[in-house]
Amino acid sequence: MSEEELVLSLRNREKIAIEALYDMYSASLFGVISRIIPDTALAEDVLQETFVKIWHSFSGYSSEKGRLFTWMVNIARNLSIDKVRSKDFKNQNKNQELENNVTFIDEQRNTTYKPELLGIKELVSTLKPEQKSILDLVYFKGYTHVEASEELGVPLGTIKTRLRMAILQLRKHFN
Amino acid sequence: MENIKAYIESGILELYVLGDLSPEERLQVEEMAAKHAAVKAEIDQIEQSLELYAEEYAVEPPEAVRDKVLNGLLINLGDDRTFTKPRKHSGEEVFENDIVPLQVRRNTFYKYAFAACLTLLLISIYGLINLYSRLQESSSQLTAMQLDKQKIANQVNVMDRELDMYRDTSYRILRLKGVAKTPQSAMTLAWSPATKKVVVDMHSMKLPVHDKQHQYQLWALVGGKPVDMGVFDLNTDTTSVKQMKLIAAADAFAVTLEPMGGSVSPTLDQMVVMGAAK
Repeated sequence: MSEEELVLSLRNREKIAIEALYDMYSASLFGVISRIIPDTALAEDVLQETFVKIWHSFSGYSSEKGRLFTWMVNIARNLSIDKVRSKDFKNQNKNQELENNVTFIDEQRNTTYKPELLGIKELVSTLKPEQKSILDLVYFKGYTHVEASEELGVPLGTIKTRLRMAILQLRKHFN
Repeated sequence: MENIKAYIESGILELYVLGDLSPEERLQVEEMAAKHAAVKAEIDQIEQSLELYAEEYAVEPPEAVRDKVLNGLLINLGDDRTFTKPRKHSGEEVFENDIVPLQVRRNTFYKYAFAACLTLLLISIYGLINLYSRLQESSSQLTAMQLDKQKIANQVNVMDRELDMYRDTSYRILRLKGVAKTPQSAMTLAWSPATKKVVVDMHSMKLPVHDKQHQYQLWALVGGKPVDMGVFDLNTDTTSVKQMKLIAAADAFAVTLEPMGGSVSPTLDQMVVMGAAK
């Protein structure tokens, strides 16, 4: 099923479209969510919330503005960040500051870094470490480029350049 | 065309795809993309590469989650088809309130433990207050009983002394009889010439009632002369016997009614009883 067909049948609220959507994108979305929320049960909750939201606000998506996945991953990331910043989550982590949470997540995340995932070794060698760290902060952990600049102590302009270089590297790699 | 190239290279399109622009900036980018195919193509390239990048890090969720998610959505499917009225989907944030985060149930043990502790504390305080008031009650009872005991001990002492009187064989029991004017009157006294003690029995006393300005006075007749032996009231004392003044020898005893405090010499016409001291 192509993306256009999928979008069309989602508009028509077809059951098969939901299933196809889930099968095509749940793993990618869950990967992003899991990197923000290390707790598996919580991450699963957020994955469910993500699909509920995708389903309910689907009319807000327009293919002219971009790819379906870009729209969905933004929803998943925002819900995950909301969860991480929510009271419940903070209480659960014994009221650690957000900054501490991030390092906390970093530590936890090491276990979800599955080396057996294909292509990662190749990718790591494709991206320079400083490119990868910025891309991951922004793409996977929902930092704004301003926050990333503060976190890494790198000027804003450099952040933007590195982001662009990182994505150019990816484009080269995938082509 | 140079402008477009610079625009693309500024990195703003990457930030657009990463969702890191303000709504106004997003709108500008969307306008540029609509006008210039190159911008649109660039955005698409960025999106594709990031999508593939995410795929590299994909984590397969458990099978159970698939059922949960799909069932949850399909339950609502019927409703969505029935209600064709378009809902306002202006953006992603509209349904914020529809999503009820699952309550994380942890640390409930501590909640219950705290509640239990509080309950125990309240019960203990109640018990303590109860115990304290009972203690107060028993201590006041104890005081009352001690007072009672004292009273009884005093009474026993008094009675013991009375009893001594009867044990002492030197006492003579004298019965004073009413005179002609008062034939009904009678009185008993005990006199021990050896100890000189004279005791009046208040219980068996039968004398006319007197007013508050007068008292009875006991006299001893010694060689024809009256000797004052002290005054007493009629049955006003709670004691059963009353000790009078001492005297070693007497011929007779008599009682007269005298003004309060007694007189130096007896008023003879006010005599109520008399008896020989044999």
